[in-house]
Formats: sequence, structure tokens, C-alpha cells
Amino acid sequence: MDTLIGSEYDSLREEVRSFFAANEDAVVPAGPGFGGDASEVRRRVVEWQKRLVDGGYAGREIPQRYGGAGHEPDPLASLVIEEEFQDAGVSLGMENQGISMFVPTLLHFGREDQKQDLIRPTIRGEMIWCQGYSEPGSGSDLASLRTSAVLDGDEYVINGQKIWTSGAREAEMMFALIRTEADAGKHAGISYIVLPMDTPGIDVRPLMTMTGDASFNEVFFTDVRVPATNVIGRPGQGWEVGTYTLRFERNMLGRSNATESYVAGCVDILRETGLIDSPVYRDRLLKLEGRVQAMKYHQLRLLTDRLKKRDSGAGGLIVKLNNCQLNYDICALAIDAMAERGVLKRGSKHVRDYGNWQRNYMYALGLIIGGGTAQIQKNIIGERGLGLPREPKPAAA
Amino acid sequence: MDFGLTQPQELLRDSIARFLAQDVGIERVRRAMDSESGRDEAIHGQLGDQGITGLLIDMDLGGSELGMQEAAIAAQELGRAAAPVNFHSAYVLAPLLLAGADAGDRRSALLEGIAEGRSLITPILDAPIDDGRIDGAVLYVPDAPWSDAFLLESGGSLHLLDASIPGIDIEPLETVDDTRRVAEVTFSGIDLGAAESLGGSADSTRRAVHAARIALAADALGAAQKGLHISVEYAKERKQFERIIGSFQAVKHICAEVLAEVDPVQSLLWHTADAWDGESDEIDHLAPLLKAHATEVASTAVTMTTQVFGGMGFTHECDMHIFYKRAGYDRQMMGNPTALREQAAAVMYA
Repeated sequence: MDTLIGSEYDSLREEVRSFFAANEDAVVPAGPGFGGDASEVRRRVVEWQKRLVDGGYAGREIPQRYGGAGHEPDPLASLVIEEEFQDAGVSLGMENQGISMFVPTLLHFGREDQKQDLIRPTIRGEMIWCQGYSEPGSGSDLASLRTSAVLDGDEYVINGQKIWTSGAREAEMMFALIRTEADAGKHAGISYIVLPMDTPGIDVRPLMTMTGDASFNEVFFTDVRVPATNVIGRPGQGWEVGTYTLRFERNMLGRSNATESYVAGCVDILRETGLIDSPVYRDRLLKLEGRVQAMKYHQLRLLTDRLKKRDSGAGGLIVKLNNCQLNYDICALAIDAMAERGVLKRGSKHVRDYGNWQRNYMYALGLIIGGGTAQIQKNIIGERGLGLPREPKPAAA
Repeated sequence: MDFGLTQPQELLRDSIARFLAQDVGIERVRRAMDSESGRDEAIHGQLGDQGITGLLIDMDLGGSELGMQEAAIAAQELGRAAAPVNFHSAYVLAPLLLAGADAGDRRSALLEGIAEGRSLITPILDAPIDDGRIDGAVLYVPDAPWSDAFLLESGGSLHLLDASIPGIDIEPLETVDDTRRVAEVTFSGIDLGAAESLGGSADSTRRAVHAARIALAADALGAAQKGLHISVEYAKERKQFERIIGSFQAVKHICAEVLAEVDPVQSLLWHTADAWDGESDEIDHLAPLLKAHATEVASTAVTMTTQVFGGMGFTHECDMHIFYKRAGYDRQMMGNPTALREQAAAVMYA
């Protein structure tokens, strides 16, 4: 075993630290201690994102001609950067559906002009994306989706409805799975289409979630016309393109770099309340620590697999399931430690950390469900990871 | 960065696994379980021939002078096979305590004996030594009836007491895990002069205890992985309602949940063994945290996977109970999860 990162990365560490010093005025902290007025938060996050792109820490491996830093993929460099950001308690920048899911998909399947137009503003936080996948009748069984596009000249005319669309009101753009060939098979008739959210005929209605935010939406399409060239990949290739995107969703939702800052925040609360001396709370904390540490080193194992271009098998499939549950359980402990203060939410007098614990306690539950429910994840682990047979299709009635 | 086994370590793992599959199959394990004493007399010599007893012993004394990572590999495979041996005691704790003893011919001879699989030396921590006498009963001692000698530790000092010395009474106790049994050992006022003083230090004892806990954690992980493996195989074969039961989500999700909990333990084990080898300060919280977490996960794993077998899982005929009991022994010995979490917390949040 070699857990050392070679000294050739020492200069990278220095570089990151000088970057923090030079951009001190814009630094956004990581973890539960950042919040406040929503528009001010957003302004600071976008500003920090631009600095990160210019510094080569966001969009690091995106080619320069698309606005990135053009570094060769180097998982170790990424790890070193993550470590430095984590040690300094600094945010690694925006993680959203556009940056984390759409851009890698576009790089793989997109046309040159699409890459030229869309990647730069996306990674700089100027073009926000939402994902049009789920429909009222198509959740876990996504390929049954019915929103359709009919070719009319050189335009598609889209009709239908999407649901659970995070950030649809803030988003400038949507990438969506839409049925373009009604007569093709269930999976074969789908195309991956991008469209501006201000296109006439799009109606966005917010869905209030349990966190009190309207972060979800319903999106209705009535004779929405988009150029036929807005397809990513080939028409009818949408299922392949769309599931490629979902792989990044599993990775994004399963990332553990926020986990350690939340554990540290939880320990702070236990210390402040004196509960760190309670054997009962300590036992709960240490049970979490065992899981957190195991997942931390599990990620190093997966990283090694990537370095060796080796398939991680089942090991890669468990990350989303475990980390989403872990983040939820950490927030639950922190809220318990707050006792009655735990009932407060954002905006209230006496609330701790801007209500981030309470919000994330609920948001983490949303993530346990979102991006493939925990139950779907267990099917994937059982079938792809352990080779158990799929559930047989019900006999035709 | 290469977080995982090196090629030589993979070869070691494969060769131990091959040896255990060929020579220590489940029938042999069951013979030891069903025997009066639980002893498998030949296994120590065979482990010696395979180099498994001397992993932590210097080369000039017949060992292979490897580290905790290799010892953990062996422990995990022995757990996977439910081999009737207390590896953590005889081949981790004993040689590491002796390695911290005063150098000399006697120490060398003892370590050579262990490396060959000839001598079985059983350590007793916090032995009842007071006022120049060894006096009192010690409970839950592994391998006691067939130990050649007891290595008594008290306040970091080591004393070797030959098992044939008069005044030692050994009474086997009935244990749940029939692959590894424990005994009550009573010392009746033996003069400390009858034992050989070997020096030793508190620091070396502390590291040896960490290592033994890592070995128990590895054993539990191996047992949990084997339990998952045989239950998944069963779920792929067994039919009910004209369906392979593994296609039912109720069964599939048990297996998926167990895998999701068990698989990351492998990484924590590797990291902890590596921290031990590198003499990192982290080991003082990592070793107890690992043993707590690994054995807690293993207990849950075997509890859940036993249920995949339905009623068969509760029978003596099905192998599942062997791994269930194996994990239970690993959990209780040398600090249970609750006690070890408290110990880790005392270090982490001092």
C-alpha cells in the first residue's frame, strides 16, 4: 500500500494556498457555517466560481477552447486540491446539474458548436441548467416517459410535462429526455434535447418541498418549438446519453467532501453544549465516525481503481446510497444535540448556522430519494454488483 | 498513491486462500467444532509451513518480517475460512509482545518456535502478578489447554511461564463459537521466580494490543464477507413461488445493504493496518474505532444474511451459523464495540 502523494504535488499545494491568499476577498467557506440573504449568497457563490475557473480549480480538466483550464485528467491532483480546500474550510465551488452532469455529457456526445456555445458560461456559473427527466407517470421507470417532440420542418414541437425539476425557475437552460419517435421501442424513441427556459410555451410552476423552499418545479410544455439541431447525440440516442448523465448524478450526490465538514460542525455543537462528555452522544458520534472514516478510505480505493483504469465493480455502486444516508444521519445527530433549538428554521431568532442543519436534514432525505431512490440503488447493487436476477416482468394480463 | 494491496500482498492473499481452501475446508472446521476440545492439533504446524505464523517475526528468526497489512490479510482469510485458530493471540499478540522483550537467546528461541508453528505461546494481559507472586484466576484465555507457555504481561513487563509448572489449573469453558474456545486459567500462588523475566515496555504492549484488535477486525470482515457470499449464492439457486428468491427485492435488498456496509470496512482495515505499520499517531484511535466498526458491521451482516436462508439458516447443517458465531467471538474479545468507541472517543475528543 502506498498512501503517499508524491512530493511532485507539493508545488500544487503551495499554488492552492497562494490562490486562497490572493482571492481572500471572495472566498466562500465550506460547511454549515455559510448562509444568509439568498441573493447575496448567490452573488458570492457565482463570483467565487469565476475565480475558481480563472484559477484552474473549477473546470480544471475542461479544454481551454471551451473555457476550462485544460489540465490533463489527474485524480491525484484533484485529491490534493480537495484536501487543501478541505483543510482551509473553503468551498470547492458550484456543484450543479449543469457543471457536474451536463458538461461531461456534452463533452462526450456533443457537437463542436454545442461545446463552444454552452460549456464556458456553464462552468462560470453564468448559465444555470435544470434537468427535465422525471414525469408524473415516470419516476423510477424513467424510460416510460411520454413528453413528446414532433418534427415540423427544422424544428421540434414539444408537448408534455416534467416534474421534480430542481431549479427550473432560476435556470436559463434545460436538458431533457423527450420522446421523438413514437413508434420506436420504449428506450429507442427518446432523444436528449437542450432548450432555453424562456422559449414560448414553457410554463414553470413551483412545488413547495418539505424544506420550505420551492426548489422543485413542474414544467409544462405547450407547442414549444426548438431547433432540431438542439439534440445532443443522435435523435433516438437519448436513453444512452441520458443514462450517461445519470452516472455523474450518482457521483455528484455521493461525494463525501462535504461530509467531513459536517462532522466537524457536529462535533462543535457537541462541545458547545457539553454533550461531548455524554457517553450516549459520544457513542452515536463514534458510530458515525466509523462509517465516515470507512467511506473516506473507500473513496481512496475507488480513486486507485480510476488511476489504474480498473473497474470498481460493486464498490462504485454503493457510494450514493451510503453517503446520502450518512449525511442525513450526521444532521440528525446535530439537531438532537440542539434539543429544542432544533425546531427552529432559517430566519428565526436563535437559529444556529442559518438553519442549515435543519434544511440539510430534510434536503438530505430528498437526496436519499432523488437521483435514483435508495431502493433503486439497492436493485442496482444487487443486480449489477452481486449478479442477482432482475425481478421478472409481470405476466401480461 | 496506490490505495490497496500490492502485487506481493495479492499473491500472499491468494496463496493463503488456496491453502485454506485445499487443506482447511469446512469439513475439517466442523470436525474441530464437533470434537471434545475444539482443538485442531495439526493446523499450527501447517500454518508454520505456509509462513503464516511468522509474518510478524524477523527473517533471521525464521519469519518473513512483514507487517500488519500482511497479518491482516492472513486474519481476513482465516476468518473467511473459519479456521480453528486464534491467530490474533498466538501469531499477532504473542510475537509482537516478544519483539518488545529484551533481546537475547531466549527471546530468539521463542520467536523461532512460533515462526515454525512449533510453539504455541498464549499471552495474558494484565496478569495477576502481585508482590512477587502469580496468584489468581484469569478468564477467557484462548488456546489454554494446549499452550506451551503463558506470556504474562503486567504493567508492560513480560514474564514467560512454562505451562507445565505446578500450580496452573486450566478449566475449559463452554463457548458459543466452537472454532475458538476459551478457558479459565487459575494460578495458585506461583513464585514469580518460576517465570522468566523478559523485560518489555508499556509502549510495545500498547502497539501489540492495537495489532491484535486489527487482526480480530480482519477476521470478522472475512467471516462477514463469506456469509454474504454463501447467502448470495443460495439466493441465486433457491426457488419459491416459482421464482429465484434473489429476484425478490426483499431478499435482494438485504444482500445489497450488507454489501454496502461491509465493502467500505475493507478500506478502513487497510488504512488502519497501514497506519500501524507506519507507526502513525492515528493508530491510538484508529485501531479501537476499526474494531468497533468492523465487528458491529459484521454482526449486522451475519444477522441479515442468515435470514436469506430462511429456516435453513437456523440449522446446524447450514454453514451460516459458523460465520455468525465467528463474528460474535471477534466482537466480544479484546473490547466490544461500545467499549472501544468510548476508548477511541477519549483519544479523538480529549
